[in-house]
Amino acid sequence: MTRPLPDGLVQAAIGWSIRLDYNEPSERDRQAFERWLQADPLHGLAWQRVSGLKGFEAELRGLPPGLARAALQTAQDLRARERAAGRRTAVKLLSGAGLAVATAWLAREQGLWQRLLADASTGIGEQRSLSLADGSTVMLNTDSAISIDFDGDSRLIQLRRGEILVNTGPDSEAVARSGGKRPFWVLTPFGRIQALGTRFTARLGDGHARISVQEAAVVLHPADGGGAGIVSEGESCQLMKGGMQPAEPQGFTADGWAEGVIAGRNIRLGDLLSELERYRPGRIVCDPDVAGLRVSGLFHVKDTDRALQFLAQTQPVRIGYRTRWWVTVGPG
Amino acid sequence: MGNAEFAVRKQQIETLYSDHHSWLQTWLRRRLGDSSDAADIAQDTFLRVLTRRKLPALNEPRTYLSTIARGLVIDQWRRRELERAWQETLAVLSEREMPSPESRAIFLEALVRIDQILDALKPPVRTAFLLAQLDGLTCPQIAARTGKSLATVERYIAKGLHACYALRFET
Repeated sequence: MTRPLPDGLVQAAIGWSIRLDYNEPSERDRQAFERWLQADPLHGLAWQRVSGLKGFEAELRGLPPGLARAALQTAQDLRARERAAGRRTAVKLLSGAGLAVATAWLAREQGLWQRLLADASTGIGEQRSLSLADGSTVMLNTDSAISIDFDGDSRLIQLRRGEILVNTGPDSEAVARSGGKRPFWVLTPFGRIQALGTRFTARLGDGHARISVQEAAVVLHPADGGGAGIVSEGESCQLMKGGMQPAEPQGFTADGWAEGVIAGRNIRLGDLLSELERYRPGRIVCDPDVAGLRVSGLFHVKDTDRALQFLAQTQPVRIGYRTRWWVTVGPG
Repeated sequence: MGNAEFAVRKQQIETLYSDHHSWLQTWLRRRLGDSSDAADIAQDTFLRVLTRRKLPALNEPRTYLSTIARGLVIDQWRRRELERAWQETLAVLSEREMPSPESRAIFLEALVRIDQILDALKPPVRTAFLLAQLDGLTCPQIAARTGKSLATVERYIAKGLHACYALRFET
């Protein structure tokens, strides 16, 4: 413990440091400073401490400032991503007394709450397959969360974040018990999806949910009211505020991710990169000059670095790694 | 601190330790899911109590201990994230730029100290302070760069320096 100095004195010394060290001081500034410095021996001590803070010299101890900057920036990106994904084990620390601080800190982390409430979830780059009691399977794509609520009358899955692939099962027990399957629903903030013995994907986006049917059909019930509509095999639809509409084609198959790939022909490079970005922590920033290029092929979601390398080899683009968490794709 | 005062304090801490150490360790293990982390943090918690100048009157010693422990857990996360960020940063360096193994460890400690200072600052303050401290920009240059007034930037830098000062001379 060093000798404490009055806070007013520390503030005064900081004021001088800002005038002298962090500005371009005039001769008059310097003279005024000299007078202040001579006025009291304690001023000298305060000045010695405060002027030593400049440029983090004591902290850096030879670490090049550029490297420090890169590492701190990366740490910040990492934290932002982790908070968004709610990946911290903070949940476990939540129980018990004295929580005001932790709770205020966590309340902002919406992703975390979604995860806390969800029955199953995945982090960034993770995928997970669940077998349910009725014989259905649900696969969660990267950074996704669902709640599952099966009871005597219905089978409900709430999609809270991300994307799922649903394969509805025979529900044989219910059939044996009551002679029929329980209805199978997927709930989204934009409306409900009723499965009719089927395989389909549902994905939450900004202001909408995208539903693509691979087998049989589903019925969509928009949250806002408006008429229900059927989506059949091979079709894609969006649920959104105000109802539903056919979805824009995205250039790649809706369920390729379940096989670990983004597969398509003539995909806009910009779309492909934002798709790849979902599977890795950090950012992929695409230069608008190359976003419109068209690419075809299979891109592995488990190895996005390889996918990026492949693009660099086959397209007139250059991949820049500012850090592993910050990738830029620009003209080659 | 007088001798008698010291003896009382020592007694207090010993009681605190024998009454609650194993509870704290269990509490941490349940939450962290890792018993060696839990043991380390329980130990650090008591170390923290020991080095505090004054022990508060403890009506709820377990709340007190778990509050300190929670702070330490968060510090540990921050440190691990920083370690990861440091590895990532090193991974993109060329051989020529790569620091030697021993300076890599020293530099990580440097980052931990700076990160601790930054943690106390709001984002705009942190941005301005980093431009001053790591990029060597003056207040007018930072004002021009960030679109803030000179007075605001100077206030930000003062805040940053104050946080630096507090961490270095007041803890």
